[in-house]
Amino acid sequence: MSEMKIISKDKLTDYLKSLSGDYEVIVPVIDKGTLGFGALGSVKMETAFNGRPLISPKEYFFPQREKIFTFNAKDSKNVDIQEHANTAKRVIWGVRPCDLYGIRTLDTIFLSNYVDTYYKARRDNTVVMGLNCNEPCATCFCDSWNTGPFAKEAFDLLFTDLGDKYLVNIGSKKGEKVVSKGVKLFSVAADADKAKAGELEKKSKKAFTRSVHSADVKKKLPGSWDDKLWTEEALPCILCGGCNFVCPTCHCFNIEDIVEGGDISTRIRYWDSCQLGGFTQMAAENTREHQSERLRQRIFHKCVYTADKYNGVPGCTGCGRCIEVCPAEIDITHILGRVTSK
Amino acid sequence: MTENIYAPHLITIKKIRDEAENIRTFTLEFNDPKMRKSFAYRPGQFGEVTVFGVGEAPISITSSPSMKGYLELSVAGVGKVSRAMHQKKVGDVIGFRGPYGNTFPFDEVAGKDILFVAGGIGLAPLRSLINQMFAERKKFNKISILYGCRYPKMMCFLDDLDKWGKVPNSEVLMTVDTDPEKCWKANIGVVGSLLPKIKIDLKTTVAFVCGPPIMIHFVILDLLKMGFAGDRIITTMERRMECGLGKCGHCNIGEKYVCFDGPVYSYQQLKELGENI
Repeated sequence: MSEMKIISKDKLTDYLKSLSGDYEVIVPVIDKGTLGFGALGSVKMETAFNGRPLISPKEYFFPQREKIFTFNAKDSKNVDIQEHANTAKRVIWGVRPCDLYGIRTLDTIFLSNYVDTYYKARRDNTVVMGLNCNEPCATCFCDSWNTGPFAKEAFDLLFTDLGDKYLVNIGSKKGEKVVSKGVKLFSVAADADKAKAGELEKKSKKAFTRSVHSADVKKKLPGSWDDKLWTEEALPCILCGGCNFVCPTCHCFNIEDIVEGGDISTRIRYWDSCQLGGFTQMAAENTREHQSERLRQRIFHKCVYTADKYNGVPGCTGCGRCIEVCPAEIDITHILGRVTSK
Repeated sequence: MTENIYAPHLITIKKIRDEAENIRTFTLEFNDPKMRKSFAYRPGQFGEVTVFGVGEAPISITSSPSMKGYLELSVAGVGKVSRAMHQKKVGDVIGFRGPYGNTFPFDEVAGKDILFVAGGIGLAPLRSLINQMFAERKKFNKISILYGCRYPKMMCFLDDLDKWGKVPNSEVLMTVDTDPEKCWKANIGVVGSLLPKIKIDLKTTVAFVCGPPIMIHFVILDLLKMGFAGDRIITTMERRMECGLGKCGHCNIGEKYVCFDGPVYSYQQLKELGENI
């Protein structure tokens, strides 16, 4: 791996702006009171925040609603099919480790077996710049899954906030390329800088207020299948689907055609939620009729199925967004705690 | 750009046959001559059918790979896409992508007695396999086909049933749940009521069961009661599907995706999958 770099904090904006000729630059911003991601320059860039933004950068790889085809049925015998794939070049800065691992999980899902054209186009054209977490927020538990607070992989560049400067790890060829574009702004990191990052990681790891016993989760979850805890924990759910929508690894979607008028129709895909009753509805039956079954599906999918199917890749990255966003205070760490304490 | 896995291929309706009440069989041919040559599938697989301007739906292939050069889909007009498909005429173009999913065992059951138990349009995917087996009839021992529908007008593939029943060492028994028009000469009762009427050698028989979930449920109970081992009962699983590619998540059960790892499972495998089946 290339040597680590240093960039002064007051030069970060200059650096990102210097990339904006070649890339659309996406950074953490506050939009309508919520910390998420947006284009650099539109609103103030947020660089100092604890934990992760409530909205993950998943949208930039797998949008909530995406046009995938336009069909023009000129007559019943001729149809023009136009494909839409977004190949805009992008840099996303400030991606927390939980989301770096989340993107890696999405990579595994969308790019293995059948390669998803739309995801691949976005992924290939995006440079991901991570930002280690010096201080987790109240719902974070990435430490339990080994997906944070400091990332070890799954980034093009990785920034660590050292106070007045950032330590920068280079994780890929793409990363090298974008560093070379701002070469005058970077200097070589000293051993003292790396040591400081190590101390910050240790300090951050001690600051977590939540945890799960990850080794026990895998062992004990299957045995909880018929436990009454699923009914009890699902009882307050109001079926808003928020837990799915803020999750960096949730990837379920619907495909639907919309008539635009005349002979033109658009095929879109948009996020779906396994917590909603219609998710498994078929003509003859609904295979997950009760909320307890749907909550169990979400937790099992995150904590067992994804890792089983994809060679240990984590389905949950411990970002804790589902806990923060839930109006009914359904808490995955509490549920997993009930499972592992049995 | 890599090949777009979601892109429908244009396919032209060559023939439409009224199969049964509200069920039509469409004979289709790809517009692209290269697709006509390269398209290959096995019995049990399905495709995603597009009616442009309406939507996409998963539909199993009812033709058999032994019938070269065309594709047949039998469609009950019960949903948005299938009803729109019923409005289509010969010469119209629709979209098709696939084939998806796993396949019925074929060489694995060579030399065995084969028992088919089908309900309603559940005969459509089995017909693909049955015709493949009859094309290589000597590979298999006795073939018994039990077919049930709600009432006589729902009966599909009567020509095929007639043809299969005339082949030596093969039998076809039919039944209806009710006979409102008093026109039915054969058995009346659910399809499971045909099981006691045939000789079954448990040591060598493999059963293929396909139909509505409630019918599959009760036929499997009947077969288990008769002494069938779980791995000798092959069925198909019904789940909501959007993509057919193991991505959209709707058909997920455990680490499996029914559209990708299924839809064909043995009863033994279904039990191991866990979720209510």
